[in-house]
Amino acid sequence: MSLKHDIEFTLNGVKRRATVGVGMTTLDMLRDVIGLSGTKYGCGEGECGACTIVVDGASLNSCLMFAVDCHGRNVTTIEGLASDAKADALRDAFVLHGAVQCGFCTPGMMMQASHLLACHPDADADTIKRGIEGNLCRCTGYKKIVDAIASVGETAK
Amino acid sequence: MNVAEKTKTIQPDSLIGKRIPKMDAPEKASGKTRYIHDIDLPGQLHGKILRSARVHARIRSIDTSAARALPGVHVVITAADIPDQRPIGVAKDHLPLKRDRVRSQRDEIAAVAAESEEIALQALKLIKVEYEDLPIISDPTEAIKPGAPLIHPEPHGADGSHEHLKQGMPVAYAGKPDNIAMRFDYGHGDVAQGEAESDVVIEDTFKLHYVTHCCMGVSGIIAEFDASGNLLMYSNTQVPFLHKREFAEYLNMDPSRIRIIQPPIGGGFGSKLDIYPFEVICVFLARAAKRPVKMVFSREEEFLASPTRQPVLLTLRSGCRKDGTLTFRQVHTLHDNGAYTSWGATTPFVMMQTFSSLYRVPHCDYHTTAVYTNNPYAGSFRGYGNLQATFAIEAHMDKLAEAIGMDPLDFRLKNAQEKGEVTGQGMSFKSCGFKECLTTAASRSDFRRKHRENIRNRNTPDPVKRGIGIASMLHVGGGAKIYPSDGCGTILKLDDFAHVTLITGASEIGQGSETVLSQLVCEELGLPISAVTVVNNDTDITPWDVGVHASRTTFIAGNSAIGAAKKAKAKILAAAAKKFECPEADLDLRGGFIIKAASGEPLIDLARLMRNLHFTEKAELVMTTFYYEPPSKHQDKGFKGDVSAAYAWATQVVEVEVDTETGIVRMTRVTGAHDVGRVLNRLGIEGQIEGGVVMGQGYALTEDLTIENGVMRNPNFRDYKLVTAPEIPEMDISFIESMDGEGPQGAKGVGEAPAICIAAATANAIYNATGVRIYGLPFTPERVYRALHGKAEKPYWKPWKPE
Amino acid sequence: MTGIERYVVPASLEQAVECLQQLGEVTILAGGTDLMPQSQAGRLKIKRTLMNIRRIPELKGIALDGDVIRIGALTTISEIMRNDLVKKHLPVLAEACDHFASDQIRNAGTLGGNICNASPAGDTLVPLIVLDAEVELASKPDGKVYQRTMPLAEYFVGPGKTRRAPAELLTGVRIPLPPAGHVARFFKFGTRPALDISAISIGIAGILNQGVMTNVRVAFGAVAPTPVRALHTEEALEGKRLDAATIESVANVARDEVKPIDDIRATAWYRKEMIHNMTKRMLDHVAQA
Repeated sequence: MSLKHDIEFTLNGVKRRATVGVGMTTLDMLRDVIGLSGTKYGCGEGECGACTIVVDGASLNSCLMFAVDCHGRNVTTIEGLASDAKADALRDAFVLHGAVQCGFCTPGMMMQASHLLACHPDADADTIKRGIEGNLCRCTGYKKIVDAIASVGETAK
Repeated sequence: MNVAEKTKTIQPDSLIGKRIPKMDAPEKASGKTRYIHDIDLPGQLHGKILRSARVHARIRSIDTSAARALPGVHVVITAADIPDQRPIGVAKDHLPLKRDRVRSQRDEIAAVAAESEEIALQALKLIKVEYEDLPIISDPTEAIKPGAPLIHPEPHGADGSHEHLKQGMPVAYAGKPDNIAMRFDYGHGDVAQGEAESDVVIEDTFKLHYVTHCCMGVSGIIAEFDASGNLLMYSNTQVPFLHKREFAEYLNMDPSRIRIIQPPIGGGFGSKLDIYPFEVICVFLARAAKRPVKMVFSREEEFLASPTRQPVLLTLRSGCRKDGTLTFRQVHTLHDNGAYTSWGATTPFVMMQTFSSLYRVPHCDYHTTAVYTNNPYAGSFRGYGNLQATFAIEAHMDKLAEAIGMDPLDFRLKNAQEKGEVTGQGMSFKSCGFKECLTTAASRSDFRRKHRENIRNRNTPDPVKRGIGIASMLHVGGGAKIYPSDGCGTILKLDDFAHVTLITGASEIGQGSETVLSQLVCEELGLPISAVTVVNNDTDITPWDVGVHASRTTFIAGNSAIGAAKKAKAKILAAAAKKFECPEADLDLRGGFIIKAASGEPLIDLARLMRNLHFTEKAELVMTTFYYEPPSKHQDKGFKGDVSAAYAWATQVVEVEVDTETGIVRMTRVTGAHDVGRVLNRLGIEGQIEGGVVMGQGYALTEDLTIENGVMRNPNFRDYKLVTAPEIPEMDISFIESMDGEGPQGAKGVGEAPAICIAAATANAIYNATGVRIYGLPFTPERVYRALHGKAEKPYWKPWKPE
Repeated sequence: MTGIERYVVPASLEQAVECLQQLGEVTILAGGTDLMPQSQAGRLKIKRTLMNIRRIPELKGIALDGDVIRIGALTTISEIMRNDLVKKHLPVLAEACDHFASDQIRNAGTLGGNICNASPAGDTLVPLIVLDAEVELASKPDGKVYQRTMPLAEYFVGPGKTRRAPAELLTGVRIPLPPAGHVARFFKFGTRPALDISAISIGIAGILNQGVMTNVRVAFGAVAPTPVRALHTEEALEGKRLDAATIESVANVARDEVKPIDDIRATAWYRKEMIHNMTKRMLDHVAQA
């Protein structure tokens, strides 16, 4: 079939290897090759943010990233975030503020929020709204998501 | 339990009205929730569907030989391989795999089950189909004309003569002599008399567009047969018990051999109320392959092959007297049914209620014709026709008020329904906070002052104009009796540790039903929310429920859960009374204890009592069941009757800024007042309303599924624009607690309500800002700009009904 | 599915241009944000070799080189937005980057990618054109690395098509430091702050001295197969006092100059109206500032 390539990278703090198709998305690698299903497919075109991950400190759409390009890089997914004590406050905020309904956008939203707070620890509501403009949510109307992220920013102050 | 605790008293506490986080939120926020996309069964194959390359065509031939020969392909099926397939859908006009004809772009021609998705997709490319194009009918006003090409023509023999089919054959086989899919005719009073009594009469046509659900999780299903031929489906359905029965019919199986498990769902909003071809086809594939088959859509496929909200052309004629009394309404609507009939065709059930009963109107006449076209077919979508009906009505409420020189709020208050009224359609309003909704939303938004001021400021030089608009809605809030049952069953058990398992028929689709039902049970049993596990997703375990629709789950499943909890409580108190040798009435449950009702003094913790009860000679367990059926009625043949046990009301005020040099409308603020009966979970209900408001905003401003000559132009999030976070308005939501006598703790349904009035209020706000009324949705910049420059075509559709 | 036969990751510019020269059919991967969805949807077929240029140090960074700011082709949109040199000297470019897609795409998408994707609606292209940006192209035809530059305004041939030769690599963009009195404005039409494919975009730049604009540059996006410089509009504005009459006549020239098409996002008529109205609004703002 298609050309395969071996890569080595750090995933959620653990060094690992993977054999991936050269045209494959990082999203497909995470879900189908590695078996981490927390990162979601929403559109495959970078328009919805459900597949957001953090690579070398920057949030990206994993559906737009070639899996081969993960080589040598530091990749964090929702599974990595969920086992990070610092991220507990963010998760608790999502829960307590009602930022989760069907929950399908939530892992991507959490990843983007963590990146946003890393860049702007004291982000106000407008900055947060801009920060998650690439993450679609059909259930909540975003307000409670913005509230949740803002509450963590304030606590961090 | 220690002695110190025992001597304390436990203060009364209530979970009702509190902000209770969703029970499934921690899992979801950790990425641990397994949606259907995340489930893989051993030995599973991947299914893919070949869809039509044409909008309307005869299928001349299908050649699947190359696809069958591809390594990794297990099964390829076409209609010819499934001689026993049966028509699906509301009108049984739809064969899952098309036989001789495709009628829309999404039509299913063949399907493949293969080792991987990649192979399945490759196989689809190897299937050769020969078509013979037929004329495309994509305009419903053309489709109703006599002599229009037929979407479902009646079959003819080789000699051209009409084939004689058995009476009662479904449309899929027998065809139809015209393109009329469904009709609804309703009336009360005498509109001619109403019109004669009117001082002002107006008539307008409104054009409502295509939108679709855009659930963030795309559609999917996994089907598997066991060695005895029992079918197990992992499905995202919102109506598992109805689907069990329908699948049995479509598959010619005994319903008792079908089990549906519902993994968590990535959004519903009504989209999963019908069975769609992909689901039946996936079962066919699993049957043929004798392996589990998983089928998951791509986003493009989700757009192409999901149901839509129904596009409607609606001509409304209304009148009033100079004193502001409404006199009559006459409504003709033309629904674009698409190529097949799903629930979209039946939305007139809800639309006519809004026309007949939102405001007091003595004479009302309502007619709908749903016509077949080669367009995508319409399903059910949050609000179910009510967005379209409300859009028209509330435009006319503003226009009539202006025509008689009355303040738009006063005009509405004068005609608003009140508690105790029975409408012309027979709906009886046992609780009704409508007037309070109107006055609350108006005062919190400073509606009267801003409305007047904005009109004065229309001619200032600033190109950005401000506007404020008001609209209200009526929707079922206590279920809707449209099936033989509108009920829900509950099974409740307490274990030896006083942990409750609540087994309910009601599905969780993200709306928070698990949490609210747990709350209601805990309220009865005096337990914390953490003491409950909910089981709600397996038809082999859970009792009957008619499904998640009609904003019914809190009301119906809530009453059912309360019923089961009350029975458990009675059993517990009886046991405690025996143990403590006192009357049951002296005891109560609170904070996990049996307490003395008068003092709050704890007597024994509930877990210990449960063990006492269980591990004695006359051993007993606390297990109860309850079935709740609401006291509502079926409508009669004239659509009259009290179809819901309660009705929900809301008023929403929308404020906008219109940039007259671009046509861009910014929604700045929404002030909502909702009669919800009673707030059960404040966090949950706020989330429902905010989400609904923003969905309404998308309907009003940004979302537009563009169909040209049957072809979808924007099956992607790039050009089908959902509202994003920076666009949301400020939201001020008030709850009117009318304490419905039948509702669980006084609550009424709210799921659909918040999306309903936004577009209507936005239209009124744009008019308030600019003096220009726009009769078609959505208010995209170009449409608004054209209207502001007199270049918009005002839709007109001459009232029409067959015969 | 894909016909990719080879995946290469050059470590230097020289290696990269050597590969391009020798392998012929090469698809270049930078941020991937356009390449991936286009290849997944089958709108673009990846050639026999996929070359990942992300490890090439020469393509990175933003630096002042005499009186030119050089932005390496691999610089991400986010990096440009946050860069102090850009914010100080080229604020209009930083502003355009702020309207670019979403944070996730800005973090991955590169300037070189946005230029080579050559979309008529590419968000950085219009401001770069009015800033007189030039593209740097490198190649190694005969064992030696050659560099050439070309004005960005001349680089585009059609949607997705540029004057880059198959064996050339776009290595960066060179933007002259704007002189004193330089003003530049960018407008992107959309209902969202970003994450929107513009129905039209407008860039206007020039030197404003006592109410008179000189060295005028005007460019429009999404009104032609490529982003375009609007020479008639520039001429109408050049050396004129920015009063109401000038502004109205410039806006009229702009409307007449563009030849947009109808598509899913807007009709040609509406695009022309927006070119007129927004050119006028932008010039009003310049005049008032």
